[in-house]
Amino acid sequence: MAKPTVLLLGEIDHAHKEWNALSSIAELIEPKARSREEFIQECKSGAFDKVSVAYRTFQSVAITGLIDEELVAILPTGLKFLAHNGAGYDQIDVHACTKHDIRVSNVPTAVDDATADVNMFLILGALRGFNTSMMALRNGHWKGSPPPPLGHDPQGKVLGILGMGGIGRNLMKKAAAFGMTTQYYNRSPLSEELSGGAKYVTFDELLATSDVLSLNLPLNKQTRHIISTKEFEKMKKGVVIVNTARGAVMDEDALVKALEKGTVWSCGLDVFEEEPKVHPGLVANPNVMLVPHMGTWTVETQTKMENWCIDNVRSAVEKGVLKSPVGEQKDL
Amino acid sequence: MGSIQKPKVLLIGSITHAKAEWDALKDVADPIIVKSTNRSDFLAEAKSGTFDGVVAAFRSFTSMSITGQFDTEILSSIPTLKFLCQNGAGYDPINISDCTSAGVQVCNVPIIADDATSDTAIFLMLGALRMFNPCMATLRTGEFKGPAFKLGHDPRRKVLGILGMGGIGREVARKAGAFGMKVQYYNRKELSEEMAGGAKYVGFDELLGTSDILSLNLPLNANTRHIVSTAEFAKMKQDVVVVNTARGPVMDEAALVEALDSGKVRSAGLDVYEEEPKIHPGLIKNPNVILLPHVGTLTYETQKAMEVFTIENVRRAVEEGRLKGLVPEQAHMTKA
Repeated sequence: MAKPTVLLLGEIDHAHKEWNALSSIAELIEPKARSREEFIQECKSGAFDKVSVAYRTFQSVAITGLIDEELVAILPTGLKFLAHNGAGYDQIDVHACTKHDIRVSNVPTAVDDATADVNMFLILGALRGFNTSMMALRNGHWKGSPPPPLGHDPQGKVLGILGMGGIGRNLMKKAAAFGMTTQYYNRSPLSEELSGGAKYVTFDELLATSDVLSLNLPLNKQTRHIISTKEFEKMKKGVVIVNTARGAVMDEDALVKALEKGTVWSCGLDVFEEEPKVHPGLVANPNVMLVPHMGTWTVETQTKMENWCIDNVRSAVEKGVLKSPVGEQKDL
Repeated sequence: MGSIQKPKVLLIGSITHAKAEWDALKDVADPIIVKSTNRSDFLAEAKSGTFDGVVAAFRSFTSMSITGQFDTEILSSIPTLKFLCQNGAGYDPINISDCTSAGVQVCNVPIIADDATSDTAIFLMLGALRMFNPCMATLRTGEFKGPAFKLGHDPRRKVLGILGMGGIGREVARKAGAFGMKVQYYNRKELSEEMAGGAKYVGFDELLGTSDILSLNLPLNANTRHIVSTAEFAKMKQDVVVVNTARGPVMDEAALVEALDSGKVRSAGLDVYEEEPKIHPGLIKNPNVILLPHVGTLTYETQKAMEVFTIENVRRAVEEGRLKGLVPEQAHMTKA
């Protein structure tokens, strides 16, 4: 029987051996297309008609654009599995995939440590006000003239986690080492064991009583701009906000205004609404800590993620099921 | 008034957060503030008799610019001084043996500075290991990740070597453990298992040879100046990450720059420098290093707590004739 065909959308950077090992169970092909238009043409030309499984990276959006209804509709009908290399899969319209009988997987867990680590780096950086000092030093002004206001210690502060998934729970353990107490809001409360004793509160209570607010929820229709002008008004004056989830869960312009007003004392961001564009009000603000979406960019985590995603491909080819289907499709 | 004159206590430098606590000393002492702003003026002020009768002094971090090194010459100008209360964890600007010879007991601030300093060390460690500095800089110039973008490394399962397992070193160890790091340490003497929190005690050379990340958490004194220099960098692992929140001179800054330029040291996270506020230009030029301007304890909470602790010691000195947190070199001075 002919081997099934697997389509690679994007690049393999680390797990070359594991990827190439798939050639014993599948034909491995890549698109020639370098733009969405070209990709659509290549689909229509029949180049991918034998494909049953696709592996895609976050960056491959530069080739295909978003995996939306328009694109899913012209994908070959034989394509049944889409293995996404990333925890966040907002680039994919899962509803459209379900409609066209395509099963989607993401990469949970392998991302937890690296993302929680950058999250903790940003909490410390924002709370301590380190960025102003770092910039003053690099500009030859040592501590700055005048020196910036003093920062704050994390010990004894209340950390509010919005979204207690794998990353949020990983963050909680690290924040505890710095003496922070965690409370959280989640779609549904977790068991005592899973939540590690963190207090489950309502969304409004989370906003009103957290000293540091960390956004750790996925981006979807319900969560776009879940933090906006109204929410900033409900927060404690001088709150510190950290976002390592997706830029669009927070209204970036409203954040800039809240920083100007002093409602938000500082923020630490790894993600932005329109990456790679960053709101000029943030770029010009030395009191905020900004990292360009480095959440999982380590040799070890990138390797783990590629391997996890390749395992999903292998599982699809060998067993006709994905290892880690996305939440919306778990019951299919 | 006709009452017994209250003992005088001296403020060398400034108090920012605990002004009320300093003023409250008036019920047991007569607080004086040094007016001089340099060493020769200080000696003249002392000669004029202003400091006669001073038994205890509060020495702030910034007072270095007033008196310079606190040595025999300074001590001789305040002959009645018995207690010197340093508002800081580090006390290298104070010549302890000169103080001991003059019969002056010295205390610093143990424990209170541990959290803020170790938090700074962990921030620098993460920043250096994850290679955040280059891309944070390019983001600010409008390039987002930029062409100099480099992959970092995760802390989990990396070996952290701590040089100096005092209060701060032990806190760094504990926090690093939360990130999955394995900790080993070198210290003047081995700690109990409990105190070391499970960290492994190793020799200095083994610390250098087997640590993926090296954190300097030891005090600066005659024995530790340039304890890390060219020979030590040669013994370290290829691609080591170095973090210093102790004192700049424990590490040879020029040797560090050479080790960074050669690629031996992959990245560094520094809060202290050999000649603050001057920084080796080779560090400024290097985008891979993450640099802070000695802000280790600069938080409202820690600064306030440190001032309150030190003022309490001034009060204790006047009321009870003793200090809390005597520096280790003077442990013998409290024995009857």
